[in-house]
Amino acid sequence: MLSTLLSQIVNGLVTGALIGLIALGYTMVYGIIQLINFAHGEIFMVGSYGGLAMFTYLMPTAIQNQWYFALPLLLIAGAAVSVAVAVLMERFAYRPLRNAPRLAPLITALGVSVALQEAVRVFYPGATAALPFPKAFVEGTWEIPVPGGTVPLRWTGLLIIVTALVLTFALNTFVNNSRMGRAMRATSQDRDVARLMGIDPDRVIVLTFVLGAALAGVAGVLNGVDLGFTNIDLGFQNGIFAFTAAVLGGIGSIKGAVAGGFAIGLVKALGGQYLPGGTAYDYVWIFVVLIAVLVFRPQGFFGETERVRA
Amino acid sequence: MTAIEKDPVVEPAAVEAPRGRLAGLAPYATALRAAGGLLTVVGAYLPWATFVLNDGPYPEKATLEFFTAPLGVSGFRLHLLVFGIAAIVLAFVPAVPARGRILRALGWGVVAVSVVNGMYITTQGGGFGAITAADGAVAFGAIVALIGGAVLLVGAFAGGLEGHARWGRPLGRFVEWALLLVIYALLLLLVAAVLTSGGQGSVANPYSGAVFLSFLGALGGLLAALHSAGVVTWVTGMSERHRAYSAIVLLAVALLLPLTAAGTQYWMTVAANIGVYAATAIGLNIVVGLAGLLDLGYVAFLGIGAVVAANFSGATAARFDIVLPFPLVMVISAVVAGIFGAIVGSPTLRVRGDYLAIVTLAFGEIFVRSSQNNIGGLTGGSNAIPGIPPVTAFGQPFNESLTIGSVELPAGALYYFLIVVIVAAVMAVFGNLKNSRLGRAWIAIREDEDAARAMGIRTGPVKILAFMIGATLAGLAGAFFAHKTGTVSYESFRFLESVTLLAAVILGGMGTIPGAVLGASILFVLPEKLREFADYRLLIFGIALVLIMRFRPQGLVPDAHRRAELAPQSEPPPPDGSTGPAAAKVAAS
Repeated sequence: MLSTLLSQIVNGLVTGALIGLIALGYTMVYGIIQLINFAHGEIFMVGSYGGLAMFTYLMPTAIQNQWYFALPLLLIAGAAVSVAVAVLMERFAYRPLRNAPRLAPLITALGVSVALQEAVRVFYPGATAALPFPKAFVEGTWEIPVPGGTVPLRWTGLLIIVTALVLTFALNTFVNNSRMGRAMRATSQDRDVARLMGIDPDRVIVLTFVLGAALAGVAGVLNGVDLGFTNIDLGFQNGIFAFTAAVLGGIGSIKGAVAGGFAIGLVKALGGQYLPGGTAYDYVWIFVVLIAVLVFRPQGFFGETERVRA
Repeated sequence: MTAIEKDPVVEPAAVEAPRGRLAGLAPYATALRAAGGLLTVVGAYLPWATFVLNDGPYPEKATLEFFTAPLGVSGFRLHLLVFGIAAIVLAFVPAVPARGRILRALGWGVVAVSVVNGMYITTQGGGFGAITAADGAVAFGAIVALIGGAVLLVGAFAGGLEGHARWGRPLGRFVEWALLLVIYALLLLLVAAVLTSGGQGSVANPYSGAVFLSFLGALGGLLAALHSAGVVTWVTGMSERHRAYSAIVLLAVALLLPLTAAGTQYWMTVAANIGVYAATAIGLNIVVGLAGLLDLGYVAFLGIGAVVAANFSGATAARFDIVLPFPLVMVISAVVAGIFGAIVGSPTLRVRGDYLAIVTLAFGEIFVRSSQNNIGGLTGGSNAIPGIPPVTAFGQPFNESLTIGSVELPAGALYYFLIVVIVAAVMAVFGNLKNSRLGRAWIAIREDEDAARAMGIRTGPVKILAFMIGATLAGLAGAFFAHKTGTVSYESFRFLESVTLLAAVILGGMGTIPGAVLGASILFVLPEKLREFADYRLLIFGIALVLIMRFRPQGLVPDAHRRAELAPQSEPPPPDGSTGPAAAKVAAS
């Protein structure tokens, strides 16, 4: 069935674009301080609640139904909340441990992840269950005609794909062409030498967290707009997928993160459709891919030659 | 409590000079210490709450009762009274070694107790008025005691801190045996007191959490004081000298717990649950603490053991129609879990460090997802496998009470005995492995894998063995878990459980047996006690994890190797960790 296959591919691309947006944060942070920021998934989740809070408590009712006003405000609020949380997290949880043994920051990241998830559950009104999210975009689907049927693409899905591609392009340009981007690349190669060249590594690291968190916040809001709800456990799950995507694409590589995101999205959609067990097992296939990649090609698609990891 | 029976052998410990801003207070140190102690005693006798809380008096609405019943204080106020008197005595007796450290420990204990109770009364009493003055009543107990603790701390720091006291020449063998017997008996009473302190948290008993936390704070202060006075080191040294004797007595003491105040069905169930997680944590300690391989999906092995046991138990939802005797089931569970352990461990041949942690997490998630979907009809899916019959021996089901002669054992005591034996066996395995050739190989790999390989250790098989043995122990515990709880559901084996187990190992101290048991006990007793804070439990847990890694990464009972490795003050930290372990080694040498 061509139309089924194409529909699943479209679904996979939408999921993949979202995962890619989150994966960018993982890949940049890992590239610069070799930390698996487990809490990055929660930054994504916090962003969606930031957008929701903006809509529920701050936005005048007059513009709530006009998506061209509402959506940008939601995105800004989501990104702002994510960035604020990420900066606090970097300052108080990760920076004191920068010279500690490798195990310590990883466990700290787990703690931050649990704490953020619970903080939202306890303190955000009604967050103990899934909350409805405003569908602040054109609703409905675009039926793309193909031989033997049509392929539905939600307008929100198209929005996610376009946003992800545009933001990735912008980020790539920033990292490769701007002065600050060059400082980031220098810091990721050798922090001490970068310091000798007049770069303040602390500023660069904070900037890395800020960029990653802003993207995750945008992804959180877009995911809410697309699904029509948000929930506190979305962060952990999407965070793991995004980490898989970052590794798959080659951790440290921006192109790789997005490519990995699309690959994971396709594995999820197609695995759920065609592999035994159906959608109940689509997560399992992602984890199988993750293990296979880590064991057989740990440098990923676009990764540089393997670094020494201990 | 700091009375010392024998003449201490005081090593000439250099008194650390008072630092920074407190240096100017050094001449007043004795006065400050005495004042702190006095304020603490006064605080203990002052009223603490201006009015009776809604759920009944907490604490008993006390007035100045010194004149009617000078010793009529109980609970946390008794602890404060004892701490305060001890502080006053110590302030004026210069002969006590490590006086400053002991006083500092007492000061923290006083602060902990007064903060816990003061905050509890404040929140439950509807505001700050509850611990100051309201409606014509005054109650400054909490504030006075808190100031007392703070003054005590200032005094302790101002006078300078000495090194830990070391004392105790080896005594005769039989004297030491007798002493150890007394100490372990006291330990048993202490454990029973901790378990039952505050009682069972419920709607009818809303104060259990606060009472328990306050008791824990006092106990922490007391233990830290004993540690400073060198008592803990002395006892550890003594038990090291009589290893076999200590093991036997401790086992006997553990088996006596049902005869103490903790001998009710509820506490036996709690104790048995702790035992399950302690056994699992010791298994995880092999993988994480000894071999240094971070495993984020470890609870899956407990799950595999439980699922295997459930399927051979004769429960109606079991996949196989075979009922096997429990000892055999345990062996099968352990073997199956061990096989899975080898499978999960096999990527260690190619993957290291953080990436390995992610691989284990992925395996753990695969287990959860698969059992949620009832893979192969083995796990019951979302319906779980209910109705697993209890273990039975000689016609006696283990979940019922038993009367032997005039002694009546509470229901659940038999399960408790069983898990004590299992934990003891697991401890024996761990202790022997740690000092074996294999254990040394694990530690070498943890320290530096490339160097270990260069020394001729076959790192691949050795690492897989670590996973295998750890998983086997968890499988053993899983079989017990299945029969004891009667239901096996994938819900019990989620990622959060793995993190909790890992936190237990880290909190206690990686690579040590007491650490794993202590960590598991703390993390699995607290939720039982803090029912009223159930909403905040995980939030506090997450923050606590961050704080532990920040301030005490070596854990409560640190391993000697680990301490050298993790404590930043023992050696100058490498200037920058970003360039990998090689740079750190160069910097340290």
